[in-house]
Amino acid sequence: MEKKGAKKKTIRNIPQDRAPMPVRDADERVQNFKEVACGFDTDAALVEAERCLLCPDPACVPGCPVAIDIVGFIENIADGNYRRSYDILSDANLLPAICGRVCPQEDQCEGVCPVGDTLEPVAIGRLERWIGDLALAEGWTNEPYIEPNGFKVGIVGSGPAGIACAADMAKAGCDVTIYEALHAPGGVLRYGIPEFRLPNEVIDAEMRNLTRMGVKIECNTLVGRLFTIEQMLTELGFHSVFIGSGAGYPKFMGIPGESLHGVLSANELLTRCNLMGAGDFPHHDTPLGLGKHVAVIGSGNTAMDAMRVALRLGAEKVYCVYRRTRDESPAREEEIVHTEEEGIEFHWLTAPLEILGDDDGRVRAMRCIRMELGEPDESGRRRPVEVEGSEYEFEADTVVYAIGTNANPVLGQTSKLKLNQWGYLDVDEDLATSMAGVYAGGDIVTGAATVILAMGLGRQAARSMKAYLGVRDSESAYRPEGQGPGNVLFGIDLGEKNFTRIRVAEAMSAAT
Amino acid sequence: MRIMINGADGGLYYFLSSEMLPAPARRRSNLRGKNVIETVQAGDQACPASAASESAPGFEITAREDFSDVTYLLEVRHPMLARAAAPGQFVIVISHERGERIPLTIADFDRNEGTITLVVQAVGKTTREMQQRCQVGARLSSVVGPMGIPSEIGNARKVVCVGGGLGVAPIFPQLRAFKQSGTYVIGVVGFRNRELVFWEEKFKEHCDEFIICTDDGSAGIKGLVTDGIRVALQRHADIDKLVAIGPPIMMKACAETTRPHGIATTVSLNPIMVDGTGMCGGCRVQVAGETKFACVDGPEFNAHDVDFEDLMGRLRRFTAYERQAVEVWEQGQSPTESGATPRT
Repeated sequence: MEKKGAKKKTIRNIPQDRAPMPVRDADERVQNFKEVACGFDTDAALVEAERCLLCPDPACVPGCPVAIDIVGFIENIADGNYRRSYDILSDANLLPAICGRVCPQEDQCEGVCPVGDTLEPVAIGRLERWIGDLALAEGWTNEPYIEPNGFKVGIVGSGPAGIACAADMAKAGCDVTIYEALHAPGGVLRYGIPEFRLPNEVIDAEMRNLTRMGVKIECNTLVGRLFTIEQMLTELGFHSVFIGSGAGYPKFMGIPGESLHGVLSANELLTRCNLMGAGDFPHHDTPLGLGKHVAVIGSGNTAMDAMRVALRLGAEKVYCVYRRTRDESPAREEEIVHTEEEGIEFHWLTAPLEILGDDDGRVRAMRCIRMELGEPDESGRRRPVEVEGSEYEFEADTVVYAIGTNANPVLGQTSKLKLNQWGYLDVDEDLATSMAGVYAGGDIVTGAATVILAMGLGRQAARSMKAYLGVRDSESAYRPEGQGPGNVLFGIDLGEKNFTRIRVAEAMSAAT
Repeated sequence: MRIMINGADGGLYYFLSSEMLPAPARRRSNLRGKNVIETVQAGDQACPASAASESAPGFEITAREDFSDVTYLLEVRHPMLARAAAPGQFVIVISHERGERIPLTIADFDRNEGTITLVVQAVGKTTREMQQRCQVGARLSSVVGPMGIPSEIGNARKVVCVGGGLGVAPIFPQLRAFKQSGTYVIGVVGFRNRELVFWEEKFKEHCDEFIICTDDGSAGIKGLVTDGIRVALQRHADIDKLVAIGPPIMMKACAETTRPHGIATTVSLNPIMVDGTGMCGGCRVQVAGETKFACVDGPEFNAHDVDFEDLMGRLRRFTAYERQAVEVWEQGQSPTESGATPRT
């Protein structure tokens, strides 16, 4: 709806250039783990908000995995209603300060923004982050009025999928407990994404919001081994369970030399640094074992994080070795740009053949081969093929694998859950697993993906779980479909089906 | 009821007290009112403002026994873990907030008492520091597990269970499980000398035959565990399984001892780990030419398929850092105790 008196915005009358966001200087930032992107200030946010055309049928909203009312929150920024803007944001996304930092916006909301047809698209992610940070600074939280419904919901994994699902279930009135295998909550947000991209205090603050809603977080709990999914449904009394345990089983290539000292997965490097404080050894007990010339294999976000962490921990030269080109790189554009600025050397169209060691079993070099792009493969990207006779040696004392993950086997080993051919949990379109009441989302379903996609699946699973439990879903309570005389089954209005489940009565009587 | 309060701080005891414990253990908790009160106090003190930081109040050490200058036993209260633990599994322990995650094989578990037993050798900075700090009533910052695939007890009729060095304690639960399943069990354990021998009676109680080997012959037969295995092989032609836990060099020797006899042999591998959940791949080992993660694919593997040279090489990965950690720690020890870690 157009506001009275407001001049209609067109591509011609909006600010033509993106508002500048300060970024710490590359030379300075590689010395420490302070956040690189400093975020908008108020003036910049107001300018950027003006750039939104407030499309009546916005493309960005369906472009968002959690369907944030993007136009709504930006319009409220422009009008100075920051608190209202936060309310709109947090309605769909519990973690605006996190998602504004780590979402691949250029492939989602910003990628479909019509402003982007002629100018740079509206910086939706940066606006989201600005509101998220403002909320943390002002202490805004939206504690919804929660009426307990007596259902117990268990969540396996405190990463993005788990917390998104937990928030929705808690809002619906469920008694939610999250189990985390590590000793600190957050999953990949904690152990994977480094401080300079996502400060720990932001994660802590968002976790506090979760506990304020009544969600309990139990760390040091390896579900599957300490108790099984089956036991959660029986002995522990959970009415429904969500699994968001992550992919978490890093891939290696199986080339010679992978056992040498100095070869490790990006997960190991990042976990040692981010979770265990290995950068602070020996003040922290966990050593890092990073050399001076670090080659990172792969070019996704994890690879970028590993490279930039290595640089900050004292590596003199850091290389990216990737068998395709920059265009095929799966990392966020902003991360690639930042990584390039920090002086990381990119070796596109290069594939490792062998890791070479010295007499002490330490990495000394990598033997690589040049690649060229051939025909497109099933992913639509042009398949790299080896250039004959182009082998060469590449000096490095540390080799980091960031080439993706396989499915973590623990839940498959310990439960009767059906797995697909790759070992990931097999789910239907409602994210239901083969076990009644058990739903799954995030990397353990999709394989390695992004924070926001995992959150999207966590929320989708929450909708399914509410339907399974027969909990009235606030999102669909007033939807007209399913009601009326055309939708009657055995004399019961289908719109009323949520109120007829026998388990509701059971749970309510148990709660009282 | 007190335990419930503790649970609100983030401890696992929350539902342990109400639902998870078998009835005898629950009674036991009530009887131990005094311990429980201590637990609550420690928990309150340790509770940080942020729910997201290491908020668990930790896991109480309920008993300790020193077997020698370097080997000590800790009993840790963790009823749910005690209930879930099976032979062959391990836990990851963090002793304090800035500590590292170290894998320790579960040496025993008592489901009625709700405790697990760990036997630790003070070899590096962390284990030596734990030797000082881990007195009865102290708390470990984290204990998580049981991790790894439990041992396959199966239906072997005659089994040799071998433990050497830090592998003596971890072999025990398996040995007992074999015995309880009706298997004829021959225990073979190795120590340097008489002074270091522990759990002799405990082993004897669950063995049909028990062979102690010492380097100097001060107890049992003089020689290595492989000599003990040879004795067993001479006495019995029908041994159909051998399980060995100990230093890699010992497990390798055991594998080579049984290989000519074609006896199925299992070893429990002890590579360097971080998370223990399959997430980091630091514990990768080469088994039958394939990369496996000891934490989730193991820790037990067919000994005849294991590349022990690879394992031993990878165990040396952090040698220089380990030395540095010990040096820095020793400097911090004198003249006063470091006291760097807040601990109640």
